[in-house]
Order: sequence, then structure tokens, then C-alpha cells
Amino acid sequence: MSDRLHRVRVIAKKELVEFVRDWRTIVAILVIPLLMFPVLFILFPLLLASEAAELDALMLDVVVQSENATSEMGLNFNDSKMNVTYEPLPVIEELSAPGIDDARLRNGSIDLLIRLRANGSVTEYALIYMSTSEQSLEARSRALATLSQWEENETIQRITDAGLDPDETLDPLRWNGDVASSDVATQGEQAGMALSLFIPLVLAVWTFSSAIQPSIDMTAGERERGTLEALLALPASRMELLMGKWLAVATITGIGVLLQVAGLLFAIGYLASSNFISLPEISLAALGLLVLAVLLFAVMVVAFELALAMRSHSVKEAGSILGPAVLLILFPALFTQVINLDGIETYWFAIPVVNVLLALRELLMNRIVGLHIITWLASSLLYAIGAAWYAARQFKREDIVTSLS
Amino acid sequence: MSAPLLVVDEVSKSFAEIHALHEVSLTIHQGDIVGLVGSNGAGKTTLLRLLSGVYRPSSGSVHLGDGKSISTARHAIGVVPENTGLYSRLTAWENIRYHARMQGIDDDEAWKRTLYFSRYLGMEDSLQRHTKGFSRGMRQKTALLRALAHAPKVLLLDEPTAGLDVTSARTVRELVKQLGEEGGTVIYSTHQLAEAERVCNRIIIIHNGEVRADGTPQELLNITGQPNLEEAYVALTSDVARERMEDSKPLKGVAKWWRSFFTPRLPKGVDEDE
Repeated sequence: MSDRLHRVRVIAKKELVEFVRDWRTIVAILVIPLLMFPVLFILFPLLLASEAAELDALMLDVVVQSENATSEMGLNFNDSKMNVTYEPLPVIEELSAPGIDDARLRNGSIDLLIRLRANGSVTEYALIYMSTSEQSLEARSRALATLSQWEENETIQRITDAGLDPDETLDPLRWNGDVASSDVATQGEQAGMALSLFIPLVLAVWTFSSAIQPSIDMTAGERERGTLEALLALPASRMELLMGKWLAVATITGIGVLLQVAGLLFAIGYLASSNFISLPEISLAALGLLVLAVLLFAVMVVAFELALAMRSHSVKEAGSILGPAVLLILFPALFTQVINLDGIETYWFAIPVVNVLLALRELLMNRIVGLHIITWLASSLLYAIGAAWYAARQFKREDIVTSLS
Repeated sequence: MSAPLLVVDEVSKSFAEIHALHEVSLTIHQGDIVGLVGSNGAGKTTLLRLLSGVYRPSSGSVHLGDGKSISTARHAIGVVPENTGLYSRLTAWENIRYHARMQGIDDDEAWKRTLYFSRYLGMEDSLQRHTKGFSRGMRQKTALLRALAHAPKVLLLDEPTAGLDVTSARTVRELVKQLGEEGGTVIYSTHQLAEAERVCNRIIIIHNGEVRADGTPQELLNITGQPNLEEAYVALTSDVARERMEDSKPLKGVAKWWRSFFTPRLPKGVDEDE
């Protein structure tokens, strides 16, 4: 191994040893990304389902205000786990005006107020509820279901009474066959399409944000703690220093992103087992290009962040620059999600950040377009070299040896 | 006199419009224990950073006696910066080993030298401890061990006893003396003339970026005709000392305007009030 490579390796190894000895950083950069998607996609839906079941089991208090008994109309709210109290309809012009009943909903003594009034052959109704109360919303939903069912029965009855066939009258245009089988895209392709809408975003944002802390610690942090001067006096060039630190940050970021993807794949696997989503169909070539795109993006992002952090005199200064810089990734990332990939112009694949995100989207959908690949590969390479050159310039500055402390 | 070990040839160093050092020339020989004495902002740290290759000269050159530029011969130099520069999440030995590996020294060799000097400094039992809880004295001793681990030809010490207790300062001074007796070469920056007199066989007085005097303590007395070194120093540096410069960059434009909002004005003088 040449002396240069040896020194780069020594620097990277030392940075990694320092990194793994700080458990808070380990939690922030490695544990959280690993658990983020399983928590979001598995635990969160489980929590939602448990809350929904709890709500479903609740008996809700409902008041029905009508001119005559609802049983005469064939309406039965009691079937929907609701304690129903009947009251005469007050004299009001618009049924939807809460009036004095507002207080009962606000203090929680009732969850819903149903008002019914006959107007010729039509039955008018209004549901008075409180949208900020889960129970009130649930009561409204149950009441609407009962009312819809009644309306459907009543419609069929009236059509029949008029001597018409309800089926033909209500459904004159019909689908023939299985809806799912009419889509030529396979389930794997559909899964790729769905994942392409957020995996590039996650990869880009996480690559950038997880590199911030180690980049700052290894540059502005070292500068602030006064450890840089002794390091600069060693027989290592500034480029070797940059390479060693880049390697360490890229390793940490790479592991963080890999763990996050692993967590995501685990969550997808779990969802796939419950037929929620299929596994995406990606060819080996597309997978290889996908890794290459992320790697080039990481080279650019880490070099850029190291450069900005090295320019800063302190950790605080570096944080206040790199924190908002996440927006430089986030905005193009969000923008890229809405770009239509069908017939997309090639120049999009040359725009920084956008190029890699579009490449990831295409590759996740297993689309390999030669011109697009050449464009994003060449432009990404150019940007990565540019960022590395800029970082090298910052590392060669003489004032990096001075610190605020 | 032995052959030159380190040569500073008409070196000037400027930071933008600030001239930190002006045409400094020095020749360091093996066995020299050089005291670099000067006030704050005199240019001592700038000179040490030029000697260690951290700074590049604006003009002139710093090279070894054999003509090799210092930027390509940094293995010949051992540095203890003013703030020691230790990594707090590493043990003392890991700090030393890191620098030794960067110097291309294998761990066994570095460990032998570290043990040898650590016994002298009373640091054997602290080598496996993380440096986070180290006192200033222990940090300084660890930094010294780190600088010595690759057997440098010249050791550069920037204010090595600043902030140390009496015992630690004495230990450091005695180690420097011992290195001198063993034929080592040390350049020792300090504010304290008395300390330089006790430790060094050669004193360089630097003031406002210029070398004002260079010689043995007796030679300095002879040059100035003063009865003691303190008087000699005052005579050589009688012009007003400038402030430390290279670290401070004046604010400009919007940054200056913005900062002015949060900078209190000095109270008016009594006379002005009246």
C-alpha cells in the first residue's frame, strides 16, 4: 500500500473510531434510519388500526329531531351502536343551523344531532356535529351510512313503483370483467412506480442530512477544538486529509442510508406479505446503475458539505450554514416527484440533484434509457469532481488552522 | 558548530494586508535549545507554523540543512501546539499512535519511545485513559509524547508551560533540558524570558514580526549593554507592540452593519457628560 493510501486509511479509521464511541451520534445516524420506516409503515398502521377498533366499539350518543317517528320511515339508527334519543324538531328554517343545540355538542353530552323533515316527497336532513371530536365524526359517519342505505332502498322502491328496472335504470354503463387484469403493468412494476415516488426523496434527503453532523464534527469541530494544527503539521497533504475525512463521512452516511433502505425493504416485505404492495421488479443492470447514481450523489454531497463545514470557524457557524442547505436538496427532490417521466426532455438529467433523483425514479421503474443514463452519469461525475475540487480548495486554505477558541 | 539542521531564509509572511513576519532569517543547529521570546502578536506562533509547514511563506523559504523543503520533510519535525490538539474520545496512547502512524512509524517502535518518555513524565499509567478528563498538565505531557514518538530531528513547542502547575511546568522544562543534553533540538516559544533563560542555550527575541536579537543569554547582554535579560528585552522591544493579527479578520459590509446593532456603545466619559 502506498504511503498516501496508508495515511488516508489511518485518517478515515481514526475518524470512524471517534464516531462509534459517541453513542448519541450512533443513535441519530444509524439507529433512527433503521427503525424509521418499520415504525412508520408497520407500527403506525397497527396503532391506527387499534385506535379505529377502539372507536368502532364505542356506543355513541345521538339525538334525532324529527316531526314523526323515524321507524315510520324505515330508518333505524340503533343498529349502528348508537344510543338514540328522539326529540321533536324545533321550529327552524334551516336544518343545518345548530341553534341552542350547539352547547350539547360542545360539552360532549351528545355526539351527533340528526334532524329530519318531510318536504313533499323529499326528506330533508342535516347532521349537526363537531369536526374536532373523533366521537362526533364517528357518529356522523355511522349516521351517514344508515341514511345512505335508506336512500338507496327508497330509490329502488320508487323506481320499482314507477314500473322500471332499478338495475338498468341506475347502472346503464357497466364494466365487464376483472378491473385488475386490464392493467398491463405487472404488480412488480406498479410497486416500482409507487416506490419511485418516495425512495429517491428519502435517499437524497437522508444522504444529505446524515452527512451533516459527521462533516461538521470532522472539520469545523476539529478546528474549534484546536486539533487541526497538530494534524496539519503531519506529513499528509491536505488532499489526503480531505480524502480520509471524506471516506469516513461517506462510510457513515452510506451505512446510514443502507440501514434506512434495509428498514424500508423490511417494511415493504411486511406489507407485501399482507398484499398491500408487491416487491418491485428491478433488473440487475438497473440495480447496479441505481447504486452508482447514489454513490456519485454521495461523493458530491459529502464533498460539498465538508467544504462548507471547513469554511466555518465553529461548529455553530457550520450548523447554521448546513442546516438550511438541506433545502437545496429538499426542494428539487419534491419538484422531481411531480415531473412526468413519459417523454421527458433529456436536459432534466443534467440538472444538479434533479438528475440523480430522476435517474433513481427511472431505475426503480426498471426503465433503462441509454441517453438519460449517459447524461446523468456524465453530469453527476462532473458535479462530483466540481464538489471535490471545491472541497480541496477549502482544505488548502491557510486560515483553517485558526479557530474561535 | 555542527551543520545546519533547519534554515529559515529571509521568510516573510503576510495575511491579506497584514505583515505578520518580515524577512526573518535563522539557522538552527543540532543541540540548539532555542527560546523564541516575544509578546502576544509578535509573530512567534506564525514562525512556528512556518517551521512546521502548516503555513507557507509569502516569500523566502524554510528548509532542512540538506536543502529539502519543510513541506516535503515534515517527518523531521515534532509539534506541540499551544492548545495541545488532543482527541478527547481517544486514549492518550491512541492519540500518540495516530500521529505515529501518520508519520509512517510502526506501533511497536512508537510504543517503545512513548514508554521511555512517559516514565520520565510520569504518564505510564495514563496512556490507556481517554484524554477527555485530563488536566492541562497531562494534556501537555501527552502532546509531548505524541510529538516525540517518531523521533523528530526538531521539536517545536508553542508555549508548553502556559497554564501548567509548578510541578508539571518543571517536568516539561526538565524534559526539554534532557533532550538538549542528548543532542536533541528544540524550539521553544514563550512569553517568559526567565523561563527561556533557564531552559535554552539560545534566545531569539521576536517583536512586531522581526527578529530583534539572536544569541546566547550572555551575547544578548553584550549586544544591549544591559545588566540583565529583562532590561535587554525591554531595550530591544521598546517600540509599541502590535496586537495579535492573523486570527482576526475585520468585518465588512452587511456583516459590519448588522453586528453594530448588537454592539453596545461605550459609556460617555465624565468630562463629556458635563
